[in-house]
Amino acid sequence: MNNQLRIAVILGIAGGLITFLFGGWSVSITGLLVGITIGLTTRGLHKVEGFRKSSLQILPSALSGAGALLVVSLIQNYWISPAIGTKPGNLNFTIESNLIACIALIAIAMILQGLNGLPANQARKWRLVTLGILVVAYPFIDSAANLGWTSQLIFALIFVILGLGLNIVVGYAGLLDLGYAAFFAIGAYTAGMLNSPLHDIHINFWIVIWIAAAIAAIAGILLGSPTLGLSGDYLAIVTLGFGEIVPVLFQNLKQVTLNEPFTCWIIPGIQKLFGSTSTVSCVTLFNNPNLTGAALGITPIGRPWFPFIGQLPTADLNSVHYSLSLGNKIYFYIGEFHSENPTPWYFLILAIILFTIFFASRLRDSRLGRAWMAIREDELAAAQMGIDPVRTKLLAFSMGATFSGFAGAFYGAYIRGIFPSVFDFSTSIIILCCVILGGIGNINGVLVGGLVITTADRLFLPALKDFLGNLLNTTILPALSSHPILQAAIAQNANPILWRPFLFGLTLVIMMAIRPEGLIPSAQRRQELHAAEDTPNVVGSSATKK
Amino acid sequence: MKIDIRRLFRPGLVVVLIYILLLVGPVAGFNLPTIWESIRSSPKLLVQYLIIGLANGSITAIIALGYTMVYGIIELINFAHGDVYMIGVFTALTTISVTGTINSTNPTQIILGMALALVAAIVVCALLNTFIERVAYRRLRNSPRLAPLISAIGMSFIVENIGLIWAGQSWLVPSFGTTGGGAQKYFPDLLSALMKAWGHDINLLANTGIGLRFTVKDLMVIALAGILMIGLRLFIQRTTLGKAMRATSQNRDAARMLGIDIDRVISLTFLIGGGLAGAAGLMSGLYNGNAWWFMGFRAGLDAFTAAVLGGIGNITGAMLGGMLIGLLASFSDGYLNSGYTHAWVFAILVLVLVFRPTGLLGEQTGEKA
Repeated sequence: MNNQLRIAVILGIAGGLITFLFGGWSVSITGLLVGITIGLTTRGLHKVEGFRKSSLQILPSALSGAGALLVVSLIQNYWISPAIGTKPGNLNFTIESNLIACIALIAIAMILQGLNGLPANQARKWRLVTLGILVVAYPFIDSAANLGWTSQLIFALIFVILGLGLNIVVGYAGLLDLGYAAFFAIGAYTAGMLNSPLHDIHINFWIVIWIAAAIAAIAGILLGSPTLGLSGDYLAIVTLGFGEIVPVLFQNLKQVTLNEPFTCWIIPGIQKLFGSTSTVSCVTLFNNPNLTGAALGITPIGRPWFPFIGQLPTADLNSVHYSLSLGNKIYFYIGEFHSENPTPWYFLILAIILFTIFFASRLRDSRLGRAWMAIREDELAAAQMGIDPVRTKLLAFSMGATFSGFAGAFYGAYIRGIFPSVFDFSTSIIILCCVILGGIGNINGVLVGGLVITTADRLFLPALKDFLGNLLNTTILPALSSHPILQAAIAQNANPILWRPFLFGLTLVIMMAIRPEGLIPSAQRRQELHAAEDTPNVVGSSATKK
Repeated sequence: MKIDIRRLFRPGLVVVLIYILLLVGPVAGFNLPTIWESIRSSPKLLVQYLIIGLANGSITAIIALGYTMVYGIIELINFAHGDVYMIGVFTALTTISVTGTINSTNPTQIILGMALALVAAIVVCALLNTFIERVAYRRLRNSPRLAPLISAIGMSFIVENIGLIWAGQSWLVPSFGTTGGGAQKYFPDLLSALMKAWGHDINLLANTGIGLRFTVKDLMVIALAGILMIGLRLFIQRTTLGKAMRATSQNRDAARMLGIDIDRVISLTFLIGGGLAGAAGLMSGLYNGNAWWFMGFRAGLDAFTAAVLGGIGNITGAMLGGMLIGLLASFSDGYLNSGYTHAWVFAILVLVLVFRPTGLLGEQTGEKA
């Protein structure tokens, strides 16, 4: 119980610290998030029957968590705000936002803990329903609170899809792929080339996304086939190589001329050797088209639109909205797919994620999924048991790549443009980070890992940069005016965006050192990764020198 | 089960693949008639590319020595090694800048400044590499292979970021200028300045009328690589510590039982590898005249390719591989298409790993990885 209280207070303080960065209404959202976390991490409590009794169990923790959040949030409002040069919110606003935060925290924590009192299958069902309602309601809460986090959350969800795809290759089949961004690039470029003015081809987004996934799957087989004989470090290096070659190709395919070699120079060359003049005319397949837009990328890429619901797009984009309407009544207003309106994009990516999770979990439990795990554990034994390693590995590569095809097509349409520099090695590593931080081989783990890493990258680092910048300009730098060099050095280097690779690297090193199985590992992985510690002499040496 | 990939490539398939290479190759610059034409029109250029390739290959080879030693002893791809080399370039540049050698015309000062930069780069890189081993790899030595590899990638990001920040500190090194940490930095051409101060031309073939450039820089880089390789070979073959290193790489447990301090031997390996990277850093700065925070990534991959090509764990192999990669890059820049050089190097890596994982000179058979 004490342990639970301590966790709640720590979470409350952590949530409060987030409000340091964002201020305003962010406290209400963090209250909600802290509530969910407290409600989901109550495994230590002993089980009590019944919803009400069970939910009352967590009341002390939830109250103390809310108290901690409130204290830190008020510190933010009255001490930190002046220090970073913003005005503290007025009393009405402060009371309102903090009250909503505390109520949301306590209510959601109690609901989630209360569900533990129900029979297991019901508890699972209702937990999913509760979280589902929150996920669906999120963009509306966000726009009501005027935070603007949704558009960044969409990036996080793109990386979640990529992480789920990579998880199939790395987590299930145990093939370390350091070039996964190549498939992301292939998906994005397929979608871009088929739905943009570059080649004047405009295929509907809803068709392109499937083509992109199919092309990515084929690319997975093509790039996977040379690596079949390799494992471990060598496999990692070859996939890294492909991951580097693919963006180089996209960057350079601007003037592509393909001449059939026999007719163009081999036969004429031989004829010349024997002194006769050339009689064969040269067959040219391509003559200088700009295939991929080279370093400039492809832009603009067409956006999706609903063919049946709402109206067709007209010249005046602002007057057209898509909504699920029957007759004159609008039931579910989400607006149209537009840069300024993240809501429909959010629901689209949510749908793709649900689809991905469904397929990934069905694949994991299928015959193929078990074959992947058998290959991962011991390829030789698996082959002796009648599993075809070639087919199984190729399927892992192509299934993993399929999801990155979806993500790529969505990404291109959402950004409206794709550039070769987006798909470099660091993107592959960020995706790998999502999988490793969350827990290799575990779908929930990859969800959490992807959300944590990408929101930290896209949301918290820029906010931290602004926060530090304001703090420095308002409070610290004036105090240092007698040391101009120190002042300049601090002003230049206290920029968290500049330290982004450092933070990524540090995350990887620390995770490997203290918790190599990730935040939410699959049970099997945890055993494997800690086996070496239990019996260092036997397992350790055989595992490292396989 | 080891899948014999060669079995899949029957002669017919090989013919088809060659045809595809001839058909699609020109996109990446592999256009045989054009190449033949340019070689025939100026054969001297071929020799010039050869010289450039050998000199750049020597730098790659020195970095590859570090990869091959580390892989030979603990079977880990030290991803951060290329970035340690980048830190070497920046250490040398900072030393040259801080000591005021950067604009000097006094030969004694230039020589002293370069010597100091060499020592500083070697010491900093050797210590950094040992530190990386201590912090990121040592405790993972008995983990599954995935863990140290990912830790190495993390370390590589950290060191790269340190380089990026370093390149932004123009109060420390005025020659960095105001272009920010992300831009390429100018590395002074001290050897030219030195030769000028002595009244010689930097080009050794200037007065022979051949019309080629073989500079003091080329000579120095190639000679230094040769000396380092021979020295390292002698160290490993002849000294007690070298014997301990070989024993450790053959069987760590048995070596420990025979009283070898494994941790010390591995630290020493990283120390030597880091020192070599530091030396390569100064060489590369003087030869290519630039410093960039991201140069270590590309150089590291080239060097790893070289180590694999020559046979990983093999000192002579790393040297040979480095030279071959240098030549390939130089010819690709000259005759194919410089935009695709990176891809060609990687294509070689993939081909070697798929068809001959032991490399050209590798004796160890079977699956290392």
